[in-house]
Amino acid sequence: MQVGEREPAPAPRNRWRPLALAGVCVTAIALVAAGSLRGENILNIQFHTFQDSRGVTVLEPIVDLDKDFTERSGLKVKFGVDAITAASDSCARCHPDGANSQRTFVNVDYRRKIGDYKLDVGGQISRENFYAADTAMVSISRDLNKGNTTIAGGYSFSLNQPQLHPTQSVENQYAHDLFFSVTQTLTKNTILQLAYDYNRVSGYQSSPFLRTRVNDIMVVGNTPDLRSRQAVVVRLRQALPGDTYLQADYRRYFDTWSLASNTFSLGVEHYFKPSLLVGFTYRWYGQTGADFYQPSYTGNPIYYTGDFRLQPFNSATYTGHVVYTPAHRLLDLLPDKTAIDLQYDRYQASTQFASSMFTLGLRIPL
Amino acid sequence: MTRTGRMVLLTLAALAVAMWTAGCATVQPWERARLANPCMVFDYNGGQADFASHWQSAREGSSGGFGVQGGGCGCK
Repeated sequence: MQVGEREPAPAPRNRWRPLALAGVCVTAIALVAAGSLRGENILNIQFHTFQDSRGVTVLEPIVDLDKDFTERSGLKVKFGVDAITAASDSCARCHPDGANSQRTFVNVDYRRKIGDYKLDVGGQISRENFYAADTAMVSISRDLNKGNTTIAGGYSFSLNQPQLHPTQSVENQYAHDLFFSVTQTLTKNTILQLAYDYNRVSGYQSSPFLRTRVNDIMVVGNTPDLRSRQAVVVRLRQALPGDTYLQADYRRYFDTWSLASNTFSLGVEHYFKPSLLVGFTYRWYGQTGADFYQPSYTGNPIYYTGDFRLQPFNSATYTGHVVYTPAHRLLDLLPDKTAIDLQYDRYQASTQFASSMFTLGLRIPL
Repeated sequence: MTRTGRMVLLTLAALAVAMWTAGCATVQPWERARLANPCMVFDYNGGQADFASHWQSAREGSSGGFGVQGGGCGCK
């Protein structure tokens, strides 16, 4: 189906929505903070930066509060902003001096223990220039075998609405996601987790921000309206002698666009002192391309795309992180056991794309 | 379902059975000291995991497998 054939949904972007979201978030955090203090209550403040080889810079402050109201119920509220400066490859064609954008998101998650089950119900609202996403999610888990086995499952539904910038037309995309996992304690030093994820996306799936060359004319892509995605994951956590921990993950992914990928990651963390944790992780990722992906097109192709994520490539990510949890009160201001988290990630793809991410985080027990 | 998909699911099922069997060897609560360490908890730092998942899905064609997924974004 050609772009523009589908009846565009009526549109509109309310510029006040991000502020309304921020208001809802602040209110929710205030309500949470006003409640009684029981169980584990954590305030996480993180500041992420992302800079890539195209010159795009993203600054992302995130605040999330995880609070138990009673022994059986709790609430998690998360609020974040992505401030994007400079231009992406796509933006640069029309805005050679750069384009600024911003994404605001709020996530609220309510959890409750019902008998032997833990139930989580939540949602997420995300707003940015030319893109809106609303998600509702529910998950349930249960411990078995004296806590040595945990089974969990979840479902989420997302309505994503890209605006076909520079027009005012808005398209709809619907995503259903099903998730199951089994976590098993194998020994007093080993935990294994198996997970399966089924994701079905329908509706508009081209990127309105990425263009490809068809018969030497740059056009927005045209992709199939349906994509079913599956992923299986195996994760291992192994405690080694000497306060050292090993983390190994493998993911196999495949979908109905013939894109398949393998992801391996291996990490080691070591406590040099009880207050100082240092870790390093290596992640390798490789994918095949979607069956209709080509660098450029000629003739009269049914499907065509300029989405770089649908081409075959591989990548490597190197991550180093340090967590410092001083025994005394930090700066005489923050509570005991407040942790400072520093992390650096370097991502390098075979497409010559590279990026660096830096995170500064504070984990504050309340 | 493709042959690869069937193989993966079969492997997953076999591993699940193996895990279930291994579960019979119960680790007692007083033996769980090291299991309680944050390094042994999957996605203990949820904020960092969410951030990584976000930028990876903006750069790579596959996603999922680490819990129910949220909505998309226009960050490309």
